[in-house]
Amino acid sequence: MGINIQRPVHIAPLVTYRITFGAMMLLSIIRFWLNGWITSLYVTPVFYFPLQGMDWIRPLGATGMHILFAVMAIAALLIMLGLFYRVAVVIFFFTFTYVELIDITNYLNHYYFISIISFLLIWVPANACYSLDVRLRLTAEKTMAPAWTIGIFRLQMVMVYFFAGLAKLGHDWLFEAMPMKIWLPAKSHLPVIGTLMYKEWVAYFFSWFGACYDLFIAFFLLFRKTRPVAYLFVLAFHLATAVFFPGIGMFPYVMIAGSLIFFSSDFHLRLLSYLPFFKKKQTGKAYTYLPYANKLILALLCIHFIFQLLLPFRYLLYPDKLFWTEEGFRFSWRVMLMEKSGNTFFYVKEPATGKTFEVNNREFLTPLQDKMMSTQPDMILQYAHYLAKVFAIRGVQQPEVYVESYVALNGRRSALYIDPAVNLAAQPYSWRHYQWILPYKEKHE
Amino acid sequence: MQHAPGKPTGSVLLNVYKPDNFYRMRKNTLFVMLATGAISIIFYACSKGGGSSDPQPETGFDKTAMLTNYADNLVIPGYTTLQTQLQTLDAAVTTFLTTPTDANQQQAQSAFKNAYLQFERVSVHQYGPAETYLLGNFVNTFPADTVKINTNIQSGTYNFASTGTVAQQGLPALDYLLFGPGAVQQLSSAGRKKYVQDVLAQVKSLVDKTLADWKSTYRSQFIGNTRSDVGSPIGYLVNQFAYEMDQLKGPRIGWPFGKQSGGIVFADKCEAYYSGFSAALAVENLTNLRNTYTGGDNKGIDDYLISLKKDQLNTDVLKQFDVTLTKLKAIPDPMSAAFTGNADLVDAAYKEVQLLLTLLKTDVASATGVRITYQDSDGD
Repeated sequence: MGINIQRPVHIAPLVTYRITFGAMMLLSIIRFWLNGWITSLYVTPVFYFPLQGMDWIRPLGATGMHILFAVMAIAALLIMLGLFYRVAVVIFFFTFTYVELIDITNYLNHYYFISIISFLLIWVPANACYSLDVRLRLTAEKTMAPAWTIGIFRLQMVMVYFFAGLAKLGHDWLFEAMPMKIWLPAKSHLPVIGTLMYKEWVAYFFSWFGACYDLFIAFFLLFRKTRPVAYLFVLAFHLATAVFFPGIGMFPYVMIAGSLIFFSSDFHLRLLSYLPFFKKKQTGKAYTYLPYANKLILALLCIHFIFQLLLPFRYLLYPDKLFWTEEGFRFSWRVMLMEKSGNTFFYVKEPATGKTFEVNNREFLTPLQDKMMSTQPDMILQYAHYLAKVFAIRGVQQPEVYVESYVALNGRRSALYIDPAVNLAAQPYSWRHYQWILPYKEKHE
Repeated sequence: MQHAPGKPTGSVLLNVYKPDNFYRMRKNTLFVMLATGAISIIFYACSKGGGSSDPQPETGFDKTAMLTNYADNLVIPGYTTLQTQLQTLDAAVTTFLTTPTDANQQQAQSAFKNAYLQFERVSVHQYGPAETYLLGNFVNTFPADTVKINTNIQSGTYNFASTGTVAQQGLPALDYLLFGPGAVQQLSSAGRKKYVQDVLAQVKSLVDKTLADWKSTYRSQFIGNTRSDVGSPIGYLVNQFAYEMDQLKGPRIGWPFGKQSGGIVFADKCEAYYSGFSAALAVENLTNLRNTYTGGDNKGIDDYLISLKKDQLNTDVLKQFDVTLTKLKAIPDPMSAAFTGNADLVDAAYKEVQLLLTLLKTDVASATGVRITYQDSDGD
């Protein structure tokens, strides 16, 4: 039996997806703005940590950043309404991704997820039904579209969940119940269940349940018979994470709404029929791509998914423990996996005179940047290079930069993280393993 | 390729029903889903709202008892004593200003030292009302900006409410005005006298307001919130441990000692430079930090760590507190002279401060699940 990805299917799931995605992005941006995060994350800092190779991406200043977010918000609104959809979704993808690349301090897996979803949305006719584009006759109304236009979002969700589950299959998570053992006692204020938070079995239950959930939920969502029950689990799981870990922000809601994509068009048609002006059409014209465009898009999406498949495994190319070195950690759906904190002291030395200048990180970094940098070697290196530049301008001849850094991982005691004898100013950026990261020591208290 | 109606075609990823299969799904499924969704959301909303109003008894560790101990035995008594000390200081300063003699200056200085030492005992508690009034910033930003202070006295116009003037007021300004070089002679000027009185009045008013807020509203908020997230009492406490250690390492010792300046000493940048009891203040600060860590005789963060089975960490932290205190006490006052005269002693203490800082900022914060940050953002 062949898989016919071109088979026309009803477009309803895509319509729900477009509306909920646009609405949630709009809310997220408003929340971000009202929290003052545009200023505190993209205007206040004097130094930014760009993604390696992306250092041409700079913030745009107070006015520029606020305009950028305003444009992004308008784009989100237009996506929701389905007005000037293609332009809006392209703008949203670029503005959102641009902001995410300014500073990896703020990297979050769910931001990465949003970038990907908005990229995928560019290629599908999510505005061909129940949209202002149709209402204003900017685009022809279609009720059907090739099956792949919906399949790609399901595939993406399957990958996110599955890889998040795979990442949990480690010693600490399964057999130490770490970091749950640390995080749960901090939640003893919760009503009813609060008293359970000190119990060890609860930490193990959370760990194992979380791992099983992530590994299997997407597959249960795929099959019609298990889907309703699976979705109840989606609701319960993500609302629970929202209660337990309010710090994760909008992510639970993005996943709750996003998981609706697994439902049939029948379900979506009923859901949409609760909305005003929605005319239920069971069948109608099919959206068709020009043959060459279709091929090109599919080729592009193929490449995308091959990357999606490979990126989470790139850590295998590096030695030592992934959680310690974080080489190959980002873009891999490793979510809420570890409790890691660090503390770094930088020293700038002038070799000719032997003078040492200890760096006050507060002078160059925000508290958040300081915290994130302290546990991520590539950020430590970026910062060291920046310090060398700054101190050279301040008159230090051929500055050398050394770091004394301590990191505590998953409840273990803090240990020296970076070789304090290595002049980081002379160490190059690289995709190879950084030899100056001290090896991880498995030692329990 | 033809498919039987009702059967999904192709892979499950693409499992979208053909139009002729609409309404095959059981009709009530959607309603069941919506109902459960609504129930979940209601449960969620309730659980969120109920958290603050109805604190649950704790079985593993009684955080409320710990916080009550902090509020009733450390913070409120600490601010009450500070209030009293400032009244004593006020009286001594009034005498000194009326009759600026060396004897009266000594009297005032002894009262000043008592008040300053007492401030070190509440220095760690810069959250809640103290944070609202920026007490720590207004009362103890050092070094004092002596140039600006003199300009202010000459012009007679200054606004102590503005955050831009933190270095022109507070205890460091009093240190300079009352005990700086030639203070006794200079205090014959009426403008200078008035400035001293205004600075002292501002310090007293901020402490009064902070204490009043603790007593009236903040105490119950403090003991009723057993969360550990950003902005919670436990979050604040652990963050303040790290912050105080940062202050000890930086402004109190490291910066004037020349750690940031390639060894060039800036002796006059240290705390209470003119009175010359910087080392005593540093010792008091750290002694109090240890006392806050242990919660005095009652429940403190140390007991919380033990309940989290972090006994070894707790032992190490206490040991490091003691080692650091011993080294710190070895530095003779005035510390400004020790930076050059006893550099090895300062250096020895500095190293221990750094080790203690790492323990508190990394190990203790990590063990208690508290984020060290003064910034709010999402995580994942």
